[in-house]
Amino acid sequence: MPLSHLNTGQINELKELMEDAFEDLINTYLTDSDQKNQLLEEAIVGEDLPKIAEISHSLKGSSANICALPLSLVFKEIEDQARAETLANIADLFSQSQQEYQQVKTALKSLL
Amino acid sequence: MEAESPLKVLIADDNKSDRMILSAIVKKMGHEVCEAADGLEAIDQFKTQFPDIILLDVIMPNMDGQEAALEIKALAGEDMIPIIFLTSLQDAHDLAKCLDSGGDDFLTKPYNKVILQAKINAFSRMRRMHHTLQRQRDVIRDNNEYMVHEQEVAKAVYDNVTHAGCLHLPNLKYLLSPFSVFNGDVLLAARKPSGSMHILLGDFTGHGLPAAIGAMPLAEIFYGMTAKGFSMEGILREINIKLKNILPIGYFCCVCMVNLNFRKEEIEVWMGGLPDFYLYRHDSKAIENVISTHLPLGVLSSQAFDGNTQKYSLRKNDKLYMWSDGIVESRNDFGDLFGEERLKDIFKNNQNDDQLFDEIIQTVNEFTGERGKDDDTTLLEVRMVDESEVGEVNIDLSSGMVTGPLDWNMCYTLRGDTLKTFNPMPLMLSILSDVPYLNGLSGQLYTLMAELFSNAFEHGVLSLNSSLKQDAQGFAEYYRQRENAIKELKYGQVSFEFDHKPLADGGKLVIKVTDSGSGFDYKSKQDKQFANQGYSGRGIPLILSICDNIEYLGDGNIVKVELSWVAD
Repeated sequence: MPLSHLNTGQINELKELMEDAFEDLINTYLTDSDQKNQLLEEAIVGEDLPKIAEISHSLKGSSANICALPLSLVFKEIEDQARAETLANIADLFSQSQQEYQQVKTALKSLL
Repeated sequence: MEAESPLKVLIADDNKSDRMILSAIVKKMGHEVCEAADGLEAIDQFKTQFPDIILLDVIMPNMDGQEAALEIKALAGEDMIPIIFLTSLQDAHDLAKCLDSGGDDFLTKPYNKVILQAKINAFSRMRRMHHTLQRQRDVIRDNNEYMVHEQEVAKAVYDNVTHAGCLHLPNLKYLLSPFSVFNGDVLLAARKPSGSMHILLGDFTGHGLPAAIGAMPLAEIFYGMTAKGFSMEGILREINIKLKNILPIGYFCCVCMVNLNFRKEEIEVWMGGLPDFYLYRHDSKAIENVISTHLPLGVLSSQAFDGNTQKYSLRKNDKLYMWSDGIVESRNDFGDLFGEERLKDIFKNNQNDDQLFDEIIQTVNEFTGERGKDDDTTLLEVRMVDESEVGEVNIDLSSGMVTGPLDWNMCYTLRGDTLKTFNPMPLMLSILSDVPYLNGLSGQLYTLMAELFSNAFEHGVLSLNSSLKQDAQGFAEYYRQRENAIKELKYGQVSFEFDHKPLADGGKLVIKVTDSGSGFDYKSKQDKQFANQGYSGRGIPLILSICDNIEYLGDGNIVKVELSWVAD
């Protein structure tokens, strides 16, 4: 059930709200997220903690708004770790987030 | 009222997809949206788009939300621009910081449409209320400024009108609050052409502008008619009808008017509605109450108005004390009234009557303490002095022509009731003062005309004997007889003939006054050039001090005086 990565009720509400702009919203989210995921990876490689916190914070918010709560929670973990200045788990969490993101991406595209 | 007018909402969020969702929600509500991707853009948008409400993300690149909020609130000044922070922050400390930096509320991600709508509606109401308050505050401030300005103008006009008088003369001491115009107290003094002085103390009902408005026509009439030589009754009658016509019902003016006659050492008083005044006798140190016998001005119709005055002799250095009800009715910290007993005690305990005026003020101030501060107190002391102490009267009766009428003759006869009641002085003086040189003599001419007229009327037509007027009792008796004689008079007349001729270097005025009385034996005395005495107080020395000569004709019921003048 691919939609479990998205909150069904919420995403339908959002679809209703956005009407014709829904597709544009999804595309914007995906383009934006692709870009930010790449920046996040670079920051993790470079061990730039403030940058990691900033980007994961942004991804956490936009993922929540697009109804991808599990994904948002992983980014929140990354943000929290970065703010606590512990790098140890971040690489693991990042690969976890990327797997979840791929699922969300598939689910969202299926809605278009 | 509650009809929602569309608002302009600024959405500042660095995340484009978040902006799209928020924007969709806000547009669905019918509002207009403008967007910014960071704090700096948010400030730019604020300056150019003038949004009504701002939705502001906390964490943004370039300038974060809290910084932007501080700057926007500073730019907005006293305008209320609600800022709602968009945040996924959970920490109470962080949320509090948002509000500290000028945020009014926050909205957490993921966005909830219902809550956002409710918040926007709530702030929209608050904003309207704020606008209403601001508008009302501005209206109140404008109104207040306008009112203060009006009062200043009114005070300036009022001061111009009232300061035309002679309150500065050395026989007067007065205390008048600088705000008297707005507590309704009026104090006026002016010299008559005859040299006498008219004084008026008035207390209008009410405070503020309504009280001040009536003072204007009152002062105008007082000064205008006093300068023309009108009697107290004429002036009071005119003021009464004017106030009656212009003041609303329930507004009137308590008044005491006094005519201070320096030559006769007497005062004539009309008093309506004010507390008792005191006559202070310099020799005996006794005080006599002068009481109000009339209704205030502006109450009665002209027909019902009573202009009768009372006369009192007032010897040199005797004094008259007049006040508004501010003194007797002032209160101390315990709410006690100052009262008449305390006032009388001041007179009783006084050692030197030069100090009386100051003692009254001091005692009242000590009594009221910080409460009173003279704000509602009007006090006047009038001292009877020799006319030389208050100086000559200089009244400009009319501007007139440069050369004026020089060659003319006029006859003017008063008969019957007109003779009893009408004062011909203003009219006759007005005609005489058309001759430029005589205009400069208006004071002396008034004295002369008044003396001639009263001789003709009182001693001639009414056959009164002025030797009665030796003391206070005689005074009263004289005026009693005068009143009776007027009442019983069946027929009488007084004729004035004026004849003015130009001379080479000036002119000559001849006045002939003929009365219908039986005359008197003047022949023996005329030969002695009227060496004082025995003319039933006809004031001949006074007349001679003004004229070149005086001559009685007929049975003594005709008098002729001549006055020549030389141009400067």
